[in-house]
This record gives sequence, C-alpha cells and structure tokens, in this order.
Amino acid sequence: MSEAVAQQAKEQEPEVDLSIADKVIDKYIDLPGNLMPVLQGVQDEYGYVPRKVADYVAERLNVYPSQIYGVLTFYAQFHLKPRGKFIIRVCVGTACHVSGAPRIVETFFDKLHIGHAETTPDLRYTFEKVACLGACGMAPLAMVNDDTFGKMTVQKVDEIIAEYNQRPMK
Amino acid sequence: MVNLTIDDKQVTAPKNSTIYDAARINGIKIPILCHDKKLKPFGACRMCLVEVEQMRGRQVPACTTPITEGMIIRTSTPDIIKARKMVLELLLLNHPIDCPVCDKGGDCDLQNLTYEYKVNANRFSDEKFHHAIDYSNPLIERDMNRCVLCGKCARICDEIVSFGALTFISRGIETKIGCEFEGSLNCEFCGSCVSVCPVGSLLARPFKFKARFWALTNQKSVCGYCGTGCNLTLGVKDNKVLTTVYDENQGFHNGQLCCRGRFGYQFINSDKRLTTPLVRKNGTLTEASWDEALELVAARLKGAGSSAAALATPRLTNEELVLFKRLMETAGSANYDHSAGYAHAALTEGFAKSFGAAASPATILDIQKSDLLLVIKTDSYETHPVIGFEINMAVKNKGVKLNILSDKRGKLSKLPDAQTLVHTPGSEVAVINALAKTILDDKLAAGTAAAIPGYADLEKALAGFTPEAVAGQSGLSSDAIKRLARDYAAAEKALILFPIGNAYPGHNADLASAVANLALLTGKLGTEGSGVLCMAEKNNSQGAVDMGFYATRGLNAGQIMDGCASGAVKTLFVAGENPVVSYPNRAAISAALDKVEFLVVSDLFMTETAAMADVVLPACSFAEKEGTFTSVDRRVQHIKPAIGKIGQSRTDFEIFGQLIAKLGGQAPATPATVFGEIAASTPGYAGMSYASLGETGAFAQVAVTAAFVVPRTVAVEPAAGKLALVTGSALYHNGTQSQFGEGPMYVCPEGYVELSRTDAARLKIQENDLLNVASAIGSTKLKARITPRMPEGVLFSPYHFGAAGVNQVWGGAPVTWVTVTK
Ligand code: SF4
Ligand code: SF4
Ligand code: SF4
Ligand code: FES
Ligand code: FES
Repeated sequence: MSEAVAQQAKEQEPEVDLSIADKVIDKYIDLPGNLMPVLQGVQDEYGYVPRKVADYVAERLNVYPSQIYGVLTFYAQFHLKPRGKFIIRVCVGTACHVSGAPRIVETFFDKLHIGHAETTPDLRYTFEKVACLGACGMAPLAMVNDDTFGKMTVQKVDEIIAEYNQRPMK
Repeated sequence: MVNLTIDDKQVTAPKNSTIYDAARINGIKIPILCHDKKLKPFGACRMCLVEVEQMRGRQVPACTTPITEGMIIRTSTPDIIKARKMVLELLLLNHPIDCPVCDKGGDCDLQNLTYEYKVNANRFSDEKFHHAIDYSNPLIERDMNRCVLCGKCARICDEIVSFGALTFISRGIETKIGCEFEGSLNCEFCGSCVSVCPVGSLLARPFKFKARFWALTNQKSVCGYCGTGCNLTLGVKDNKVLTTVYDENQGFHNGQLCCRGRFGYQFINSDKRLTTPLVRKNGTLTEASWDEALELVAARLKGAGSSAAALATPRLTNEELVLFKRLMETAGSANYDHSAGYAHAALTEGFAKSFGAAASPATILDIQKSDLLLVIKTDSYETHPVIGFEINMAVKNKGVKLNILSDKRGKLSKLPDAQTLVHTPGSEVAVINALAKTILDDKLAAGTAAAIPGYADLEKALAGFTPEAVAGQSGLSSDAIKRLARDYAAAEKALILFPIGNAYPGHNADLASAVANLALLTGKLGTEGSGVLCMAEKNNSQGAVDMGFYATRGLNAGQIMDGCASGAVKTLFVAGENPVVSYPNRAAISAALDKVEFLVVSDLFMTETAAMADVVLPACSFAEKEGTFTSVDRRVQHIKPAIGKIGQSRTDFEIFGQLIAKLGGQAPATPATVFGEIAASTPGYAGMSYASLGETGAFAQVAVTAAFVVPRTVAVEPAAGKLALVTGSALYHNGTQSQFGEGPMYVCPEGYVELSRTDAARLKIQENDLLNVASAIGSTKLKARITPRMPEGVLFSPYHFGAAGVNQVWGGAPVTWVTVTK
C-alpha cells in the first residue's frame, strides 16, 4: 500500500472492535459459501459494514477485498455507512405520491438537514425514500423503524421528530 | 477434428473449440471485444454474434458457443451486421467520444470497430457517465467513463495475476469497474489490466501524451530484469524507448509481464546514464576519451596475472561473458566470478554434483503440466513474478496442488487450497531432509532410487532427520512434514521450485542437493510436469553459469574481495555489478574497494561502486546490444539492438574486445562469431544458431547424470531477545538496476523492514515508524511495515536499495540476528 493511500485510509476510519467480527467469522469459517452469512452477520452486529471490518473479513476468509465490496454494492441490503438509531422511511409510491408524499419528504429534509439515504451526524436518524409499502389506504405513509404513521401531514412530521428526539440512544 | 461450414467454406477445427476459435484458425475474422484468449469465456459484449443454421438462424456469441459436427455458421449476414452495429451504438451511448485526446486512439478496439462497422450516427441518446478519473498512482490511470464493461481487467487480475484489485461494483445501470470502497488502485502494478483493456479506460501513465501508437516502431526484445526471460516489445521513437507494447502472442507467457518488465524500462533512456568514459584525476572522476580510458585499463591488465580480478553482472550477454573471461585469461588471471560468488552455487555446486549439470532439469512450461508444486519460499512470486502467474494459473485453472515451504507466508499462500508450512528461518534443508527421510521410511522411494550412486550414504546421513527430530528445530509438526512427504511422493507429476540470488544465501548448494535428492528418490525427474526448477535471479544468471563465468581455478567473488583488502588483488574490473549495495557486509566491501589499487567499473550508471572507481566506462543496456540471454530454464534467446547507443556508451562486448586487442590478443569481431563458438563448445547448446533460436528461443538440453549428495545442514541457533532477519527480493525490484526504472521506484521507492503484528504490538511499533535495526556487524534505519504474513520473531527486508543499507546489518548469513529499536 502506498503511504498516502494507507494514511488516507487510516484517517477516514472510525475505530472498530474487530473481536466482534471475529466471533461472526468463527461461527461460519468452516461453512462453504460463507461470505454472505458473514457479511450479514457483521452488518447485524455493527449496524453497517465498516471498511475495516470488510478488509478484515477479506483477510480471514481469503477473498479479495474488492470482491467483498462488489457483493456489498450488489445487494441493497448492505450498508456501508453507519446508520441512524431511527430509520425514517417515507413512501413515495404512486398512491402516497398523489396524496402529497413529496411535501412530507421535503419537510423531513428541512427539519433533519439530511437528504435521501443520509444520516444525521449524531447518528439519531437515517432518512430513506421507499417505494410502495403496501398500505396505500393510509397514504401518505411514513415509518420509523417498525412503527407506522399513516395519513401523514406536515404537522405530523414535527410531532414524530419531537417524539423520537426524546427517545434514548442506547 | 470437427467438420463445419463457416461462411460457405468447409473447414475443420479441433474438438472443444468455440466458434470463434474455429473461425480464427481458419482465417475467418469475427470481431470481439470482451473475449481474450488468455481468459475464461465470458460472453458479455455480444460483438461476436454469428448465425447458426441449426439453431434456426439464431444469433449466438461465437466466443462462448462450442462447435458441433456439421455446424453451418454465417459470420456476416446483414442481420449480424445490424446486430453488431446496435451493440456499438449502445456502447457509444454513454461513451465519451474523446478519441482526439484519448491516449488509446489508434489502438482502440472500440474505435476500430466503430470505424469498421461505419457507425457514424446514433439513434439513441443518453447522458455520459460522470465518474471521477483515478490519477492517484503514477502508473495506471483509470477513466471509467470510457469503460465498456468487458470485464477483462477484473478477470485478468483474478484469473492470471490473482491479485483481484478490480471488480464489478453495484448493479444495473450503475455498474462500473472499481476497487474496494471506490478507493484508488493499490495493487502490484503489473499492468496486465492495462494491456487487455480494449478502450482507453486503463492507460499507462508514463506513456501518456508521449506518442501515438502508430508513430512507434515496435522492437522485439527480452526483458533485462529477472531470469524468467519474458519477451518484450519495446515501443521506440526518436531513439527512445517510450513504452512496452503488449503482444498477446509473444512468448510462453502470452505477453504477460510484471511491474518491472512493463513499467521499468525507463532506465534505458534515463538521463542518469553515463555517456562518456571517466578517469580519476587528482581524486575526481573527469571526462576522458575512450582511448585514454582503455589504455589505462589495458596497461593495468597487461601481464597482471592473478593480481587482476573480475566481477560481472549476470545481466551481460553470453557473448560478453565469454569475452570477459577471455580478457582475464589474456591478462593471465583466472579470478572471475559473479553474484557475490555464492548466489549461483545451487547450480554450480549443488546441481553440478546431484545432476551432473549446472542447470535445472525442468522448464517453466512444466508448471502448468504438473500435479503438485512444491515451492520453496513464497518469494518465488516476488523474484520471478511471471513464473508466479504460471503458478497462479496452474493452481486456479488446472487444479494443481500447491505446497509451500517458507519462512513466511506470501501471495502464493493465498491461492486456493495452498498448503504453507512456515518453518523457522534457516531450517529448510533440515525439513527437506526430513521429507526424504519420510519417503525412505514409508518405502515411497521409486524402484530406481537404490541404484543411483550415493544411495547408501544418503540413507545413513538421513538417520538423524526423522520428522520428529526436525519438528523441534523447524517449528513444524512432524505430521505436517510427513503429510507433505507423502503428498509429494503420491503425486504422479511433481515439480519443485526455488529461487536463488544475492539475497538468498541460504539457497545454496546444500539446498539444491537436498531438493535434488527428493526428486531422485521418487523418480520425479525427466518427465513432463516433473523435476526441479532453480530460479536464478538475473536475466542471464543461467547463461553466466553456462559460460563458466565463475571461479573454477581462481578466486571466487568473496575471495576477490578479501584479496582487494589484503592487497593480493591489485586491479579489479567490475562490469555491471554493484557490490557496495548487493554484496553482504557493506563496510567490508567498501573497505576492500577502497584498498584495491585500481578499480575499473563499466556500468550504465554512476552506482555506489562506480563512484569509487579509478576508471568508469559507460556501457550499453540490453536495448542497445546484440547477443543471447539464457533464462532460468535454459531457454536461449537472441536480442537485437532496439535503439542506437546512448551517448558515447559502448557495449561490454566492444569494451572487452578492444581491451583484448590492446593486450595483443585476438578478439572475435561480432557477437554472432562468439555465439558460434558457444554453440560449438557449451554442453546443451550444440547446433544452435541465431536462426535456430528464432523468435521464441530454444532450450539448451540438460543431460542428467544423477547422484545422491548428502547436504550439509547448519543448525541456526536462536539468539535470546533477538529477531531473525531474512533478506530477499521485493516484488517490484530485481537486483539494484530497477532503482533506475521509474515504474518500480514509484511503487516501491525505498527499503523497509517487514514485521509481524505480534512483534509490532509487543515493541509498540506503528506502520512507517523508523526503526533502528542492528546486528553484530552494524546497523541501519528502516521503515516498519506491519503485515499479517510475517511469523512472530521474523523480519524481512529487501536488499535492492543503496540508501536503505540492509547490507550494513547483513553479513551474508541466511539468518541475521538483530535487535530493533525505535
Ligand atoms: S496492474 Fe495488475 S494487479 Fe493491478 S489491477 Fe491491473 S492486473 Fe491487477
Ligand atoms: S476498464 Fe477496460 S478492461 Fe476493464 S471492463 Fe472497462 S473496458 Fe473492459
Ligand atoms: S522481470 Fe522477470 S518476470 Fe518480470 S517481465 Fe521481466 S523477465 Fe518477466
Ligand atoms: S404507495 Fe405508499 S403505501 Fe402504497
Ligand atoms: S466477444 Fe463474444 S461476447 Fe464479447
């Protein structure tokens, strides 16, 4: 690794505890085709797949780091950046769209100062636009983690944020 | 053979061919973009579509479809042409049409096909890509906006190079080629991906904006770095080597090169080249005429007898080495040698005794034909990278089993199912003896073995080398040793490989004999895919041995140095070697060279050694001369000048010839004359001529007269509280010459010391910390590299770099005990 590259890599990475990854890897190490379960496992543990962990998985499973990244970007289920404690999803499917989803989205953007697929610096919220959530009758629809909020309004956005700002982070 | 009809022509092709191959061997051209003969069929671009009558005229990709008996194929019907045009239109949709500024212009498959298929308008339109261009390294530029997603780069980096730096990222319309976490390229920089990229997505930066492809004159040559003997095509313009040009049909390696071969050519036209003779006057080297310089040298050599001595680099041609020897003989001296006097001993002493020939009874071509490879030291990849590619392909494509016996892990250890036995440094001969002992005890020896001379002595000598006894000193389990011995014996075909060179003093005559014993015991010799391949370091190391340029009657390199120190040697002629950096114990070497009355150096550069000389003669690089080189597997290849000589430089052939004449001798006029003499007098070279060598070279035969030789083993005693330093080669370098190749120096600019994570943690060492490494003979400062491949207690340092001074610490022992402080 050229020095500059190594240095850059070092600076950008938050510290992660690799012993957690070790436990996941140990569980699957002897299994053929273990890459997917290991990556899913580490994502469950860390909430996302930190680069250091991806590189470490590559080393221990003896696969190219690039190959791991190829898998991580091929499947939408993997996240490469830390995710918020609360994942806010706003439906932008057809029904929700016509009932005003764009304004709901804009309001969340304004209030949280983040865009689609972004996370607040305090790691409290991640915001995502999603396609039809299958509850069109309640359009426009929003979800926070597993809680559903139907018939969304701009005012309700404030209420949701106020409520989840109270919740503990741990 | 299969009969088929292509474009109304009755043709035949071998079974298992694809339509593309069948067409090609019958002279019918089918356009391709994602297909490469070296890679597994991929079938992604659909450029090669053809119609097969039996499939009701369906269009199938020629590059992936196998032929069947009676197949009727049409390669260029109007429908096919239309389909291909469509493929091109779609590719050009997102492709920036920036040919005028793209370095690939003139050599671009997409450009050529677009022209050929007259795609001059596009029915579709879409946005162009906006990928950032990777300029982060000085060798390879990556512009993914031009990428056609043929995948060749990612495939070659996996299938042949086995580095896996590049891969397909994301999916759908977002798909692109890149590295992990969209980072910059950080790989071994072999340039294989650049060579196969059909468009201008991957470019060799050192060549950027230097010349258009068609303005280059292509000159075929042979790589001047390591002993693999890769063939090269040099792209020349205005007497300058501007690049290496990829030719997929060149050499056994199909144009594959390593970082040194592909990106290390700049030393040829380096502005650091010596251009005039220099003579020391009042303490300073001053420009002089050739006549003045050669007169001085001739006067010193005339009648000098054994007070004169010579050291040559095994980068000289065979013809030059023959002439150098003759010059010394004319001066009355038998003191000549190369490579520190020990780096060739595996051949000149080891194989000479075990095989009756100082050459390897196997070739590089055996690697992919074997069933099992036993590689001694993972460094085999670093010392001879293109042989490393052969190993990669053998293991990955042919399922050849790979066993490695090494003092550290390495890239080869990562190959699928590779078994790496990591032993304590310096114990390899004992381990190999234990393998032989197991073979004897388990009665796995071939029936022929007992009749080979020395059998009884070997049997006796091996008594103490039971796997159990060797387990202790080698750090291996006796089971691991036994398993390896049994696997080796059980394989129908097995090949043993090991590198030798200045940095590998442990790979000596004893290691060679130990290894030879294994092959002889099991009869794995002399058949395809079996044998032993000793991989000598420099491009003509084997040639230097074949030409007898080593001490037989006179002093060897070590003794010559002693002679300089004691005053017994008064005149030393060094051609191309740089002992100050490449021989062990720099303090002693410098003192000896200081002491010798008269030092002559012929070289391309003002090396550390040349700087001490009384006369410096500017010599030519391989690109400026004619002659032959002999690769590690004794492939003799002919090179011709690719460019005119730089400055006033002369070839060593001319220098030695002119000196012989000045001494009153008879000097042969041309290298061709000398090659004639070589063919007449060198065992194995009989009947060779420039014409018979042709473009691919010819193998010099190795006639084996087998004997068992008992290898000596020296127990390496661990020193309490110290770490074991082993020296070796870095992947990007070869000898000290690669320091003048810009490519290798960009990627690996300085010396370093590699250590394990455990030692680093214990000594609180961080990556890049400057460490003081000290042994009994001296110390130096080296940057730390912490890598998972190093075992605890072991350090590794490459020896190439003058400034790093590894030979201030290393005195020539296989293992040096050192202390490391921050
Ligand atoms: S230069 Fe070699 S190692 Fe690097 S990406 Fe290209 S093929 Fe792979
Ligand atoms: S970079 Fe070149 S070789 Fe790699 S996929 Fe793109 S076009 Fe093919
Ligand atoms: S240095 Fe060796 S392996 Fe690399 S291209 Fe040259 S001959 Fe081949
Ligand atoms: S469109 Fe929003 S839930 Fe169906
Ligand atoms: S060349 Fe056949 S599909 Fe690309």
